[in-house]
Amino acid sequence: MLRHRAAALLGAAALLVSGCAKSENTATAPEPGGSDAQQQVVESPTGPAGAGCTIARQGATAFDLKTAVVGFSQSEKEANPFRIAETQSIKDEAAKLGIANLKVTNAQSQFAKQISDVQQLIAQGAQLLVIAPLNSDGWEPVLQQAAAKKVPIITIDRKINARHCADFLTFIGSDFVEQGRRAADQMIEALGGKGKVAILLGAPGNNVTTERTQGFKEQVAAKAPDIEITFEQTGEFAREKGQQVTEQLIQSNPDIDGIYAENDEMALGAVTALKGAGKKAGDIKIVSIDGTRGAVQGIVDGWIFGVVESNPRFGQLAFATAQKFLDGEAIPEKVIISDREYDAANAEASLGQAY
Amino acid sequence: MTETIDRALDRVRVVSWLQRYGVYAAVVVLFAFNAVFTPHFLAADNFRTQLVQVAPIVIVALGMALVIGTEGIDLSVGSVMALAASMVALYLGYGALPAIAMALLAGALVGAAGGVLVAVVGVQPIVATLALLVGVRGLANVFLPQLREFTNPTLVAIGSDSVAGVPIVVLVAVVLVAAVAFLVRRTTFGRQLVAVGGNRTASRLSGLPVRRILLTVYVLAGVLAAVAGVLATSRLQASDPTSLGLFMELSAITAVVVGGTPLTGGRVRVLGTVMGALLMQLLQATLIKHNLPQSWTQMAQAVIILAAVYAARERR
Repeated sequence: MLRHRAAALLGAAALLVSGCAKSENTATAPEPGGSDAQQQVVESPTGPAGAGCTIARQGATAFDLKTAVVGFSQSEKEANPFRIAETQSIKDEAAKLGIANLKVTNAQSQFAKQISDVQQLIAQGAQLLVIAPLNSDGWEPVLQQAAAKKVPIITIDRKINARHCADFLTFIGSDFVEQGRRAADQMIEALGGKGKVAILLGAPGNNVTTERTQGFKEQVAAKAPDIEITFEQTGEFAREKGQQVTEQLIQSNPDIDGIYAENDEMALGAVTALKGAGKKAGDIKIVSIDGTRGAVQGIVDGWIFGVVESNPRFGQLAFATAQKFLDGEAIPEKVIISDREYDAANAEASLGQAY
Repeated sequence: MTETIDRALDRVRVVSWLQRYGVYAAVVVLFAFNAVFTPHFLAADNFRTQLVQVAPIVIVALGMALVIGTEGIDLSVGSVMALAASMVALYLGYGALPAIAMALLAGALVGAAGGVLVAVVGVQPIVATLALLVGVRGLANVFLPQLREFTNPTLVAIGSDSVAGVPIVVLVAVVLVAAVAFLVRRTTFGRQLVAVGGNRTASRLSGLPVRRILLTVYVLAGVLAAVAGVLATSRLQASDPTSLGLFMELSAITAVVVGGTPLTGGRVRVLGTVMGALLMQLLQATLIKHNLPQSWTQMAQAVIILAAVYAARERR
């Protein structure tokens, strides 16, 4: 009895919630991921000349992308701007090219689910796979199945550790070390080459964290030996953690001049912490990586000095690469994309293009 | 002979003292260490930072202490915080107070669901609330799929303003600590709660409304978690149901256990719980301020938890 009543109550509550919600009036943001001006440009197709992967070497038979079954496997749920823009870009580009049969799955951050997602895509007859891998390792079961059917695999934003051409066609993504170097260049400019800098590290044990840290430190050591990195603590790529660590940081190291946040969310958390501590915009220079709309707005407002973009719009480049492959061109192992940079000079004008 | 007895007595005395005051002593020691070795530690700003950061954990841990007092456990608290965050974002259009009311209502409903599963259906608390941990986080993400910032002045003020130098977030926590302490020590309900945790069969046989008590306790835990969710959200100036409250259940359980409340129920130590939360906060602050890697924090926390559990084991 009580059980039924409780169930009815819960049901009613759910209806109530979905029925009359009314959120705060914020300026309606344009849909992320659409803008053509922001499509990715190839920075440098790398790999030794002649070692590219051709359709003849890979063994697939050419097909028409428009009528083919194309599978896209997303790794994390679309709960952050990067993932939202990434999935949207794949869908938009497929629609633009007239690819009728795009199947999209989402692994919700569970690696086992991603493996079975991709296996299902193969079972459904996918002729091309675009994968945003959650992990770099552990893909053998999928790779074997795909190789048996000669399905070309393009991985985006993270790599799969496997053999080029035999296992996967190409990797399209950013150079995270280079992103770190460019962030360092911005920090050096912000501080005039001298001062104390804190790093808000990403989640530990993640190649993005390691490479963004490595690039930043190398560049600072090489170009501005007077910049001292006095503090590095993880903010786990999350806004709340970025805020809490920054609160501790500015309290115990009041002489800090700059904060390098390895993603925008932590940078925005740091901004909230600085505001809470009564600092003024620009007192402490913040440089971050990602290029989300919130962070670019932060530059316009004066709280963030600069942002290095990590471009999530893989759609055009992924399908263009696939088309080249089908046309018989050789495809390199890595396609490194170019990331833009935002600073006070271009932030306001570029706001509409940030994701 | 007498010497061994003396030593054994000493040992018993030391252990029982540690059980009762160990967590206070640990806080004092850590505090003294920081006062000497951490620059800018003895500053009002610093105390404010630590208290503001620990407030949501304390509030969640209060609810957790009540549930643990009934020999239960509530793993859903972190997800309830996330749900509260999404409710706030969804209903902020009506103003801050209606949004907060909806968040608390959502917390009460999840608590009621857990309470019904435990008290009426008879599911083990760890299983029932594990289901809610997963399901409610999912629900929160359905309502609000991604982080949303807000500028509502009332809500922002709750997160960042102070009254007489004390942040509102901290004041709320202090009031709730006092209320829960009163509830446990001075009210019939408090006695009944402890009795149910001590011996459920005996409580039922002596005519206590066991089901109603359990249901109420889970509802209270849900509401307290929702309060924590609202406070954390107002501090962040953004609703973030994806990551808000992640692993909060573990922090809360740690605070309760380190504070000396036995997992076997029948006892609730409110001030001990507050101290347990403070100890963990201070520990983390110490390691961050000295720029030590996070893995050190985790190992130090493990040592403290083991010490607390060891002290509890000696009790019997």
